[in-house]
Amino acid sequence: MIEIRNLSLPLGDFSLKDINLTIGDGEYFVILGPTGAGKTVIVECIAGLQRFKRGEIWIGGKNVTGMAPEERGIGYVPQDYALFPFLNVVENIVFGLKEKRCPEKDMRETVGKLSELLGISHLLNRGVTNLSGGEKQRVALARALATSPRILLLDEPLSNLDISTSKYLRLELRRLHEVLGITTVHITHNLVEAEEMADRICILSGGKVEQVGALKDVFFSPRNDVVSDFVGKPNILHCETCNPLGHGLMEASCGGISVILPYEGNDAKKISIFPRYVFIYTGKPPGPELNRFKGIVKSIQPFYSLVRLEVEVGENLLLCEVRKERFEDMDIKIGQEVFLILKLTKLRVYH
Amino acid sequence: MKKSRVLKGIEGEKTFRAATVGALALLVFFFAGIVVSLLTYAKPDILGATLFSREILFAIKLSVVTATVATTISIIIAIPAAYAISRTDFPGKNIVDTILDLPIVISPIALGAALLIFFNTALGQGIESHVTRFVFEVAGIILAQFTVICALAVRLMKSTFDSIDPRYEQVGRTLGCSKMRAFFRVTLPLAKNGLVAAAILTWARAVGEFGATVTLAGATAFKTETLPVAIFLSLATADVEKAVAVIIVLIAISVVALFTLRRISGTGYRI
Repeated sequence: MIEIRNLSLPLGDFSLKDINLTIGDGEYFVILGPTGAGKTVIVECIAGLQRFKRGEIWIGGKNVTGMAPEERGIGYVPQDYALFPFLNVVENIVFGLKEKRCPEKDMRETVGKLSELLGISHLLNRGVTNLSGGEKQRVALARALATSPRILLLDEPLSNLDISTSKYLRLELRRLHEVLGITTVHITHNLVEAEEMADRICILSGGKVEQVGALKDVFFSPRNDVVSDFVGKPNILHCETCNPLGHGLMEASCGGISVILPYEGNDAKKISIFPRYVFIYTGKPPGPELNRFKGIVKSIQPFYSLVRLEVEVGENLLLCEVRKERFEDMDIKIGQEVFLILKLTKLRVYH
Repeated sequence: MKKSRVLKGIEGEKTFRAATVGALALLVFFFAGIVVSLLTYAKPDILGATLFSREILFAIKLSVVTATVATTISIIIAIPAAYAISRTDFPGKNIVDTILDLPIVISPIALGAALLIFFNTALGQGIESHVTRFVFEVAGIILAQFTVICALAVRLMKSTFDSIDPRYEQVGRTLGCSKMRAFFRVTLPLAKNGLVAAAILTWARAVGEFGATVTLAGATAFKTETLPVAIFLSLATADVEKAVAVIIVLIAISVVALFTLRRISGTGYRI
């Protein structure tokens, strides 16, 4: 278990403010936040790479605050992987084992096991500079895991990869975690990444913990506007009653409107939908009546290249986003009656 | 109207390129002209005889040995000093940085004179009497060369350490290395090209050092006669052929050093 107690650290204009976190044994914990939130600094504090005067770090019931990085039993994969360019793949992997004066036979065994687990057996004698991003990431993981650390720290491990490699490696990381059961702290600014990987997430902003919990808790019950903004300002509808319709669908009554949802055997407590998936029309849109509602525009706010509109539908105030050009074409005014469509496939349900 | 056409668009590109390449060509002709004039001045028979004379062979050997010793000491001191200034923040760092730059900008003859004055103080005379003699001795050549090149070695090594991401060392620490082990197992191998380049440049600078050497160690034939001192002594006795032969030796040494450096540059090091 990792415990961060009252950690405060001023770093020039930025500072970590009274961080308190508890990460359970074997947990996959994701620290999520925008660039400059202080995610890397927290990981560096856990690893012992950043010194601080206020606060404590406990690992496995032991206060490690004053301990050097090499005494903490940490595996660390930095954002750029930092593979040693003067060593080949296998030499990188056994770097930590050599430092521990591990017998040759054990080293070979570890390399064999890890290279098979991570699918890098064919790369062992290659130099590291010409590896692809995904290969580098796997070699860096093998190097970090070779010394059998108690904790694995991953600093934005997927941010330098293309979308398809990143998606594939997300699954690989999750599988690796299931196989090894190692306590993992993964930092990212990517909500999708956090959603796919995390047992629990911590939303960090401006050096401050905003909310900690399972993603669905954070998503459906954001503690404040900072968290809500960071997770995309989803519209949250509270369901009062649910009625299965058959064909895998159900009807939920939410604040005076009936929303059709995919039915998964449980009643829905809350529904969420991102503003970008709430489509707005000035006239009655063509097509089926599914999740189509009439509402009154209550506010209009420019938002970068978009316009955000709050529309009162029943007892709910739904936020929707449209591109500025489309908004100008529609010429919508406050108080005007409009039609909204909630895209069925983008509705998220909290059971 | 005509002027703007020459300075803008494709014509402007051509004009700019011609101006920059012209400046480069002028510089190359200038240096090549100096070397060619030396080579045409040297008579092959006198050049051969002079190069293999006992005095010039002594000067070559003395220059190579003293420069190698001075470079080795400089690099051994420069590595930790440069690392400290590159990776550590401390009060007065800018002042320390400026002091380290002084030997680069101060005239070598002034440095030599300062050393000579130091050995006239009580402490200096104590060192001369009880440790080793420097004034007008071979040890003085090494000290003079060290004084001139050490700051250069620190500067070159600092830029090498500056260019290495500290993240590598941090990863080394999490893999079980102590601070010192991480330095030797991670940072130093990463600095290898920069280290070799710094050694070559400082060695070449030490071989060519004259001002501080002649002031502290004097210009005694067969004793403190390095290659630059040999040129000085030859010119002082109006033996121009001999001076030309020694200059050609110095140029040859520099060319070999620079080509080696260029090979290192090709494998990733830039200065």
